[in-house]
Amino acid sequence: MTQLTRRSLLAGAAALGAAAMLGGCAPQTLENDEQLSETGENAAEPVIEVKHTWCKMCGPARTHCSTLCTIKDGRWAHVEGNPEAGNNFGRGSKTLCAKGNAAMHTVYSPNRLLYPMKRVGEKGEGKFEQITWDEAINEIAAKLKEQKEQYGAESYGVLSPQFYAVLGTLGRRFLNVHGSPNYLHSAICNSQRMFSRLVTLGGPNHMGATNTEPQQLDKCKLLVVWGYNSENSAINQGNPNKRLDSQEGGMKVIDIRPMQEGLGSHADYWLPIIPGTDGALALAILNVIIGEDLYDHDFVENWCLGFDELAEHVKQFPPSWAAPITGIPEDRIVEVARVMGTTKPMGINIGNGIGDQSADSHWTVACVCLIEAITGNLGIAGGGGAGMVMPEPLIKTKPIDVLTDRLEASEEDIANGWMPGVAKLVGPETPRWFQTMETQESGPTTAYNKGIQSILTEKPYPLRCIFAQSSNPMSATRQPKTVAEALKKLDYYVVMDVAWNSSCDYADIVLPATTQYESADQFATKNSPAGTFIGINQVISEPMGECHSDWQYYLDLAVAMGYGDDFWNGDIDAMLSEQLDGSGISLDELREKGYIFVERTDGAKPTEPEYQNYEKMFASLPQGKVQCVNEWIGGKPNADDTGTIERLPVYKGAPESLTGTPDIAAEYPLVISDVHAYRLCNHSYYHDVPYLRELQPEPWVKINPATAQEYGIEDGDWMLIESPHGSIKMVARYFEAIQPSVLMTKRGWWEPCEELGLPGYDGLDGGSEVNVLYDDNMANYDGFTSSMAKQTLVKISKIEG
Amino acid sequence: MAEQYGFFVDTSRCIKCWACVVACKQWHEIEAGTVSRRNVQETVTGTFPEVKRHFESLSCMHCENPLCLANCPQGAISKRDEDGVVVVDEELCIGCKTCSSACPFDVPQYVEIEGGGFKMDKCDTCLSIGREDDQPHCVLTCPVQALHFGPLSEMEAAAAEKGGARMEGETTPSVFVS
Repeated sequence: MTQLTRRSLLAGAAALGAAAMLGGCAPQTLENDEQLSETGENAAEPVIEVKHTWCKMCGPARTHCSTLCTIKDGRWAHVEGNPEAGNNFGRGSKTLCAKGNAAMHTVYSPNRLLYPMKRVGEKGEGKFEQITWDEAINEIAAKLKEQKEQYGAESYGVLSPQFYAVLGTLGRRFLNVHGSPNYLHSAICNSQRMFSRLVTLGGPNHMGATNTEPQQLDKCKLLVVWGYNSENSAINQGNPNKRLDSQEGGMKVIDIRPMQEGLGSHADYWLPIIPGTDGALALAILNVIIGEDLYDHDFVENWCLGFDELAEHVKQFPPSWAAPITGIPEDRIVEVARVMGTTKPMGINIGNGIGDQSADSHWTVACVCLIEAITGNLGIAGGGGAGMVMPEPLIKTKPIDVLTDRLEASEEDIANGWMPGVAKLVGPETPRWFQTMETQESGPTTAYNKGIQSILTEKPYPLRCIFAQSSNPMSATRQPKTVAEALKKLDYYVVMDVAWNSSCDYADIVLPATTQYESADQFATKNSPAGTFIGINQVISEPMGECHSDWQYYLDLAVAMGYGDDFWNGDIDAMLSEQLDGSGISLDELREKGYIFVERTDGAKPTEPEYQNYEKMFASLPQGKVQCVNEWIGGKPNADDTGTIERLPVYKGAPESLTGTPDIAAEYPLVISDVHAYRLCNHSYYHDVPYLRELQPEPWVKINPATAQEYGIEDGDWMLIESPHGSIKMVARYFEAIQPSVLMTKRGWWEPCEELGLPGYDGLDGGSEVNVLYDDNMANYDGFTSSMAKQTLVKISKIEG
Repeated sequence: MAEQYGFFVDTSRCIKCWACVVACKQWHEIEAGTVSRRNVQETVTGTFPEVKRHFESLSCMHCENPLCLANCPQGAISKRDEDGVVVVDEELCIGCKTCSSACPFDVPQYVEIEGGGFKMDKCDTCLSIGREDDQPHCVLTCPVQALHFGPLSEMEAAAAEKGGARMEGETTPSVFVS
């Protein structure tokens, strides 16, 4: 049997990539061919097909942007937004973002994994041998059965990369049938903000948590963009375009982010906050709004619980206190707080930047929610929430049932009155007592990072098998050094991905996944006033090598585990047909056409929502009121059961910060953080895509030129960046629109880009992965939502030569 | 000549997302790491904290008096009667790069051809690959509707609404910028 190292594996993949390219032509030749054919000198017209898929460039199994793919002589050559679908600004929109325009490469990348492999060397060594799919599935099933017998089903956990439909449906269903609650949710997610909004502002459930963002943006007069990054994370999903339209209609924008980003450059007020200090700014804004009597008395008297106590509490946090912490001058804080307190309707976009990436994310979001609430902006047109109500969809499909009732309650669950499975969570993301089917997205969750750390601490027990699908834990969470140590110790690590990632070296089994352009296993709908659109992924390219779809993997594993009856006995078409049952559309018809648009002919139009129905909005909250003092979570055990959650907002700050830890700041005088999403990649992925990588070839760190010059660092110089936790090398890029004390960078960079001859970078000390610099002491995580700080202090120096 | 066509670049909406840049490359099958027909220029004014970033997506200006055309020793560059779009005849181009030094906007770039030598490469408003909806792909893909193409009078009117004006230059570029 051939032994493959990572290097030879990649070389093999490159060979296949080259062979696949022979189907088409080199770009220039193709253009020449076309010209020749026009003049009749070459009769060979290319064979053109156009097929439908959902773009995956914002994440695997995503269904935001419907695309039409042009296939030329069997090779996928071009892509554009499907004007029928109602993408971005509606029907007719053919737009796509930069990533979407470069999607073709993800199929043809030389980094593709092509066949199942089994580890033959030591963990971390990256030596594998090729095995068959049957061998892989049977071995994984045998291991899971053995571990279930020996350690209990809860010893199996799955990593959740981001919102990922495969895991949210089949993955959860598999966990429930198998008997494990350990869905390792990233804790770097909109879910964190939904938890915080739910317990502060109410809402029927997790997905329905009361919103601060204006869902009628055209009626909004003041938009506060707080750590919210749609020009990087969701460019083609409507928000950036709609925001610019509203600004043309007179809406003002306050943008609170460390860097002046693309949309931030069009804002009326830009607040270049020091990363990780948003909680202090939010408290100071509450201080001004309450202290200067800019709040809505009627709302506060009728719908707020503990307002007077909050008012007293925030007196400790005047702008003069927040200014040195946040880097925003005192008078600027006052100015902006007054604008927020006096402009109505106001909506607030609460982004990842403040909601799930700092040590006190919960209280930061809670304070921002309270600003929106006490200014009387909830549930009004152009204020928080209050979106128009769309007419009923004309195509009704069914979701995949995740079989929640199959997860058994343990004795401890029953004794505590907890949701089944909660007692066995290895590292609860939110407190065990808090987790219910109403508060959670799809069932119980462990925090991703805590689940990994359980392997090392063995507290309360170690996970024995982790399945990582489309997620690279070496870059997706804090401190890859800890992750590497844990993966080395882990009994069994299974990776399934479309391309090699830097955690594969630690895997026992590596499985090659199709991109969603090589399988037809997912459909989705979009409902609009014009009608309802349904589209399925068509096979744009036959699967590379022996790649299988992520959906099919779960069905095949379930069958091997003896769970076949709950997984359509492995028949993916049966699964899809069940979802389409009653829709009036058959799977065959949908696969054949790719997409169908059913026009609305009944004249139904969007209707006004129920405005200011606070009784309904706050019904799930203690005493049916906004929690200025939190009676739902305050005084109750935190997620780790190591203390209690505060009743009133607190500001903690990052584990290392300029004002919070002056001793550390004396040696490490600069703050570093990284962008959560970036428009040329999907989280830490896609640095191998040539059209994207050529725009930013090297791992960059943005630095104010004034700061760089103090250290003798020129634009383009390699810099050594050292924190108390690790050191990395990055390329300095001058950027004027950032605080001189702050550096901003981007994670990932493990992927080489062979076409451009650019390397991938190591993810440990001495490499270029920013997570190496951050603290991963669980005691510093947010006690309610498990969010982890991505800010620390660093010193920098130029790397000579 | 019938009416001149050109672009309106709405800097009040551009967010430097690079969608136009990549769309151009994928539709024209331009090899990564070679040329880029469209680019997003960034201008920074002021210093922190009084700093402002501005973005402009630019390609060939399809000038009314193109100096590339005037200076091409091969007669490889022409201006179409129908719409004033400036195009290059690849058969005639010898890659001498005279046009590069003539163009005040540094537009012409050069791709290496098989067997040695170069050919000039620049925006042709997607004429060679067939336009959809009479629009080039950079315009069709722009997620924030910051880029527009059409008869210059229409571009002028759209730019005027945003306080924009025609780009200046001795060649009279067919581009309006807000």
